[in-house]
Amino acid sequence: MSLVVIGLSHHRSPVQTRERFAFPEAAIPGALEALCSAGRACEAVILSTCNRVEIYAASNLPEAGAAAELRKFLFDYHKCPEPAGGEIYARAGRQGLEHLFKVACGLDSMVLGETEILGQLKKAYQTALRHNHTGAVLNRAFQRAFNVAKHVRTQTHIQRGSVSVGSVAVELAEKLFSSLGEHPVMIIGAGDTGEKTARALFSRGARGIIVSNRSHERALELARELDGCAVRFEDWAEEFPRIDILISSTAAPHCILDRARLQPLMKARKNRPLLLIDIAVPRDIDPSVSFLENVYLYNIDDLQAIADDYLRQRREEIARCEAIIAEKAAAMMPPDAPANARLGNLDNASA
Amino acid sequence: MTVYGVSALYSLFLWRKGFRKHDHVNYALLLAGIALQTTAMLMRGLTLKQCPVHNLYEATTFVVWTIVAVYLVIGLWPRLRYLGAFAAPVIFCIGVFALMPGLDPPGAGRPPLAANALVSLHAALTLLSYGAFGLSSVAAVMYLTQEHDLRFHKLRAVFALMPPIDRLEKITSRLLWAGLALLTAGLGLIPFLLKGRTDYHPGSDPKVVWSALVWCLYLVLLVLHGRFAQTGRRFAWGAVAGFAFVVLTFWGVNLLSPSHKF
Repeated sequence: MSLVVIGLSHHRSPVQTRERFAFPEAAIPGALEALCSAGRACEAVILSTCNRVEIYAASNLPEAGAAAELRKFLFDYHKCPEPAGGEIYARAGRQGLEHLFKVACGLDSMVLGETEILGQLKKAYQTALRHNHTGAVLNRAFQRAFNVAKHVRTQTHIQRGSVSVGSVAVELAEKLFSSLGEHPVMIIGAGDTGEKTARALFSRGARGIIVSNRSHERALELARELDGCAVRFEDWAEEFPRIDILISSTAAPHCILDRARLQPLMKARKNRPLLLIDIAVPRDIDPSVSFLENVYLYNIDDLQAIADDYLRQRREEIARCEAIIAEKAAAMMPPDAPANARLGNLDNASA
Repeated sequence: MTVYGVSALYSLFLWRKGFRKHDHVNYALLLAGIALQTTAMLMRGLTLKQCPVHNLYEATTFVVWTIVAVYLVIGLWPRLRYLGAFAAPVIFCIGVFALMPGLDPPGAGRPPLAANALVSLHAALTLLSYGAFGLSSVAAVMYLTQEHDLRFHKLRAVFALMPPIDRLEKITSRLLWAGLALLTAGLGLIPFLLKGRTDYHPGSDPKVVWSALVWCLYLVLLVLHGRFAQTGRRFAWGAVAGFAFVVLTFWGVNLLSPSHKF
């Protein structure tokens, strides 16, 4: 019995195609049943996320035939014609196994090295396991994939650092303050990036987040979600002495905080360290405030530069990760395995 | 001292690498160094039958021992282990100073005042306090480095496995308080040491005046920090300057003091 995987992902398929072939979570057990009961596969796992739709299967058929059956199932199930341009890929044997390992490690993800996919993969496997659609081949392959992901995470720097603006802001805050829960946060302007940054801080323990926005209703809504409080836009300075972290993302055409305004506020704060994250364009905070003692100002470009550098470091780790994956796949499926286990890339197999 | 030297060299390597890996090697080197130093101090103490803190060589090595010992305790917390990379060069420099000729004359180990346990206790407490001040200055240097990197957006500030600056400030402050308490205890023993002596006036001894000055200096620094919001860089520079003053004047003041001339 051999391992085959077919699917489509963000690498080759636009979202319009991916959404056509996506499996709603509730429909996956039924789809697995339809796939296995029709004899197209002996074992199957369906992974359906916003960035990929993949069917992992074990079949008694030769790889090319098994891949063709899976393709046919995919098109029949969704009642869609095959997309043009070779968007559907197929891997078998060791290449299929290596692909599974890469997906588990986040090497095939849109955000290189992200860990969310591992959770999604585990969930997909659990669904198939619960409905008795896995057996010796897929159980072994998936368990090994989870082990390889853990090994790669601990032995390389593929998941090191933050690659989004929000998480870089959190990391900076943690370089200044040992416990975010003890340092109040204020967010001025509840735009998309500001909200994401506030949520990232909240997820890392920041509490009592103060939200100020031109639309007070929006401020109230976000404050409720973040377990914080809202203040009217014109009153934010009154709350300023309490806070240690400020995230500013208003659409104001000019600076809302400059050195002359911040100086007395710093005195009122007893000169405690203050982290200012200015993610607005045009900038909300005059750069000259960084000359004040205990004031640390970062704008959107500073945060992006850090995120880019982390991403560059992650890219440098790809070769090491691939070497580990190749070694683990070879250990599980040696080159002298049956010929059909070594077939590999089946992209050109006909449906 | 060789092990401390290796540790100092390794620290330079860690600086160049930007403190990105956990600092187990330096911790192990300093642990090995203190094990050897403790053995040497014990052997010397057993030979002299007293705590080896009675000449400039012994006093200096005792300060080194204190700095390393306190670091090893603090370094049990992984994120504070990089303190060793900042401490090792200071430890090595002070250690090299202790090996200068003339600091350990033959027949040393005889206390200038009546040899008793109280003298050893007085010396040990004051030297422990200098050790605490020394390590606080090391934490302050670490604070200043990290603060500079954060202020000027150096990538090292984010990538380095260093503790947050508010924790470094807390460590500096707590070590200064510990040092001040030890110095207070050490100086508080002076009246007991002088009981029954009429030929000695502490007010005329430059070492006693200097010690009182050091005590006042650190008290002022801590009061300014705690009461008058002199935090952050100013406080860190105060801790560094305070210990620099102690190190640079310690030898000279001992030479001037009739009761502390070793």
